[in-house]
Amino acid sequence: MINISPDIKFKKQLKQVSKSSLNECMQCGTCSVVCSLAPEDRPFPRKEMIWAGWGMKDKLIGNPDIWLCHQCGDCTSYCPRGVNPSDVIAAVREITYQHYAKPKFLGKILNNPKWLPVAILIPTVIISAILFTAGTLQIPEGPVNYSKFFPHAWLNSSFTFLWILSIGLGIVGLRNFWNDMKRQNEEFESKGNFIQNLFMILKEITLHSNFSTCTAQKTRKIAHLLVFYGFIMLLVVTAFAIYAALTHNYPLGLAHPVKIAGNVAGAMLFTGLGIMIANRIFDKKNFGNSTYTDWLFLISMLLLTISGVIVEAARFLNWGIAYHLYFFHLICVWFIIIYLPYTKFGHLLYRVVAMVFAVSINRKVKA
Amino acid sequence: MSKNIGIYICSGCEIGKALDFDKLCQLASSAQNVTVCKSHKSLCSVEGFDTINNDIKNESIEKLIIAACSPRAKTEVFDFPENILLERTNLREQIAWCMEPGEEDTQMAAEDYLRMSITKVNNINIPTPFIAENISSDILVVGGGITGITAAIEAAKAGYNVHIIEKEERLGGWLNKLHKQIPYVAPYNKSIDPEIEDKIKELEQFENIKIHTSTSIQNISGQPGQFHITLLNGKAETIIVGSIVTATGWQPYDANKLAHLGYGKPNVLTNVEFEEYVKNNPSRDLPKNILFIQCAGSRDKDHLPYCSGFCCGTSLKQATYIRELSPESNVFIVYKDIRTLGLYEEFYKEVQKDDQIFFTKGEIEEITEKSGNLKVQVKDTLIGEDISLSVDMIILATGMVPNSTLDLNLNYRLGKGLPELKYNFSDSHFICFPYETRRTGIYAAGSLRAPMDIAASKSDATGAMLKAIQTIEATKRGEAVHPRSGDKSYPELYMDRCTDCKRCTEECPFGAYDENEKGTPIQNPTRCRRCGICVGSCPERVISFADYSINSISAMIKSVHVPDEFEEKPRILVFVCENDAYPAMDMAGQKGLKYSPYVRVIPVRCIGSVNKVWISDALSQGFDGILQIGCKPGDDYQCHFIHGSELTETRGENIQETLETMMLEPERMRTEFVEITDYDKIPQIINDYVEEIQLIGPNPFKDM
Repeated sequence: MINISPDIKFKKQLKQVSKSSLNECMQCGTCSVVCSLAPEDRPFPRKEMIWAGWGMKDKLIGNPDIWLCHQCGDCTSYCPRGVNPSDVIAAVREITYQHYAKPKFLGKILNNPKWLPVAILIPTVIISAILFTAGTLQIPEGPVNYSKFFPHAWLNSSFTFLWILSIGLGIVGLRNFWNDMKRQNEEFESKGNFIQNLFMILKEITLHSNFSTCTAQKTRKIAHLLVFYGFIMLLVVTAFAIYAALTHNYPLGLAHPVKIAGNVAGAMLFTGLGIMIANRIFDKKNFGNSTYTDWLFLISMLLLTISGVIVEAARFLNWGIAYHLYFFHLICVWFIIIYLPYTKFGHLLYRVVAMVFAVSINRKVKA
Repeated sequence: MSKNIGIYICSGCEIGKALDFDKLCQLASSAQNVTVCKSHKSLCSVEGFDTINNDIKNESIEKLIIAACSPRAKTEVFDFPENILLERTNLREQIAWCMEPGEEDTQMAAEDYLRMSITKVNNINIPTPFIAENISSDILVVGGGITGITAAIEAAKAGYNVHIIEKEERLGGWLNKLHKQIPYVAPYNKSIDPEIEDKIKELEQFENIKIHTSTSIQNISGQPGQFHITLLNGKAETIIVGSIVTATGWQPYDANKLAHLGYGKPNVLTNVEFEEYVKNNPSRDLPKNILFIQCAGSRDKDHLPYCSGFCCGTSLKQATYIRELSPESNVFIVYKDIRTLGLYEEFYKEVQKDDQIFFTKGEIEEITEKSGNLKVQVKDTLIGEDISLSVDMIILATGMVPNSTLDLNLNYRLGKGLPELKYNFSDSHFICFPYETRRTGIYAAGSLRAPMDIAASKSDATGAMLKAIQTIEATKRGEAVHPRSGDKSYPELYMDRCTDCKRCTEECPFGAYDENEKGTPIQNPTRCRRCGICVGSCPERVISFADYSINSISAMIKSVHVPDEFEEKPRILVFVCENDAYPAMDMAGQKGLKYSPYVRVIPVRCIGSVNKVWISDALSQGFDGILQIGCKPGDDYQCHFIHGSELTETRGENIQETLETMMLEPERMRTEFVEITDYDKIPQIINDYVEEIQLIGPNPFKDM
């Protein structure tokens, strides 16, 4: 027995984000039948569609199924009423970032184009403040050496701090998310601890096998794999760079294996992002409705990648505007890092947690 | 018996291959009163038709026998002047196409059929129509709601004078109480303002419509063409009309019986009460959460087992104006099925677009109330689990119950009101004859007849009024109305032998007979539908039609040559109802289905018109068995005369008892019922019975 109290604001937001008419869903269940991932028991997304129509926010937000969906778009292609279930599910994910955002205002400004200037201003001001404090807020003389502009100690410590802060705030949201999922699924016994269950899903995360079940979107898997591993490699390279800055002669030469890995990772990221963006622009039929949140994430990642490559080139070529480019690149980096839990990048956290939760209540996708 | 009979036998359509024509002609030529007998290879051709027509002129043919296809076929070709008596002998569908060609038995059947036809025309006459005096062409409309108003306007437009009576002070009925109406015109997407004011204005413009408000009916007597109506409006006033359309409408189902759906608790209203509340309260303070319960007491075996058809549309309409009047309100609609028939689906789709109208299928489990708040538990929902709704108001979508027709105050032997069918609606025949009640000349329209909404009521009013007009015009010509439209015969009673047994007055499905205080039947010929059930009912055999009489059928039975030696040739007499069973037999022939040639078929107006004396005549004639094939009885009956088939069943039991007292096997008489589509069962019905009779053995009365 569930008490019904429709959240009209939430319903309107869902409709606006998903561009779905919601109400026209006639609960035929075609979506759940064609879905290649929906579990046999309580399959999605039919039940999500009526919850959406009835404004049942708690049910949707605290629902791991929302994150088991890889948005292949099969349900939308087959929906006889044109209500776009896959976009509705995507919209729920988008609203989830805002719902669990701590502090709340960050969730708001990152999902509304109106606030984009503020969103850009925040990392700009922080970086400027650090440089001002370090006393290096000026263009250094001589050949390009970024550490003169942003001393390694300052860079590494603030970079590390921001990562920890960002992940920390993310974890606060994830805790609430986890508790909500538990409340909504209390009839199911949970088994294992978080780490054990995380281990269970590592294979899926590393191989992306659920992506293969998408029929409408052939190139998605490869694109996501490129971006995924490209980004991880860059993280590793960066961590090594922090270490190297302390122990090695920095910067590393072009032939250094870590340097090579960094450049390869950049190329992977660029290729993956290129495929993703091209798909969204040229294959709307299969890739559905792209929201502001989708574009913000893709474009900020792309700018990060491109600016990174240019900054590297500028150093070798000793360009005059190298420091300006570097400053821009840093804004991109920080934009992505500090906003991780509030942008689409947040799916890295929420999807993993939801998948772990699904394992804990023994909910398995069909594939 | 000086009538000149002309017989024309057709050899087309394989009849020629099946039969020996010389023998048939020889038989025909030697028969009584036959002046001409000709055969032709295609009587329905221009040449064939001209042959007949020339003989009518040159040989003064007055009675015509066409032995060819079924009387149901080619009626547009074999169309002769009214002074010619036409008999069609069915050699095609019921002999040539269903019996073995060239066989002796087939030939014998054809000869018997021809003998029966000759005997028939020698024993019947062309009917002289009964034309009542002083026939009124005025029409009475009972009930001034949307149905009555529409019916009156339709009649007035067709040029008839109309009296419309309404018991309330004002015309308009239920529509006066509406705040909005369900959209019934394209694009069907928005509730519309009530149209009743315009309709009343339109009605008032007609000079040939007389409006009687605050008026009731004290008495209705007479018959189509001459209904005497005593109206009561302070004083009594008598008017005479030709026919009546009654549209006295409906009442909402008694919500006091719906305590399980919360009725009786504060803020639980019916759809009708809510509509009136909104109409009469300009402030219209509507609460935040409102729940509609569909099928409240409908489609429920403990209450109304049927769907009223209008409640879903009404709730959708009310939901839309709630949302307009109170944009903050949430509306929940719990239904069994949303039934928005036809283009009302467009309205449903439009209402679905509203973000604060929530639909779910579901069953109400429990409703509890606590300080004005109603908690409703619903199971079997679309949400996938049981839900609990907390609402401030519940609107029960209750259905329609037809009003009683007793206040028509019919001065009829069979009662004051109209007979009711399923669920107490005054309908006549669910399948074929809408608007017809069982009181000829009185037509039911609107939700008195069947549950329906405004748009359906209006089209119903038009249909019923057409029937009322047809009745007047048919009565003027002395003709029957549906289903024997155009029949000019009527029952003639030989009163000297009547014993006042009241069988005819009780059994007439249409109340055509009244009675005097002694119980003697008083005829109202224009009420009669000419089914002949009274012919079948009369133990004294005093009722006959000019062209369908006790004597004519008896003579036909006696004209059949029954062979002496049973072992070879048994004979079964088959009475077949003309309405559905006879066409089914024709279809069996058309499909080439074969059956025994030992049967001799006599079509009857209704299986209920078979008189007991025909059975005993057949048995004395030597027939070994008698089979009656009628149309299917029951609630969704096929019987065109309502209960002819059922009467036959009861009468059949009595006859079987009589057979036993005569030391005859009760199996010598059997009754079967078929639907018109049951043609494929005809051979089995006939052959099984022939086989059974062969086992029983010959009729001991043969040759006595």
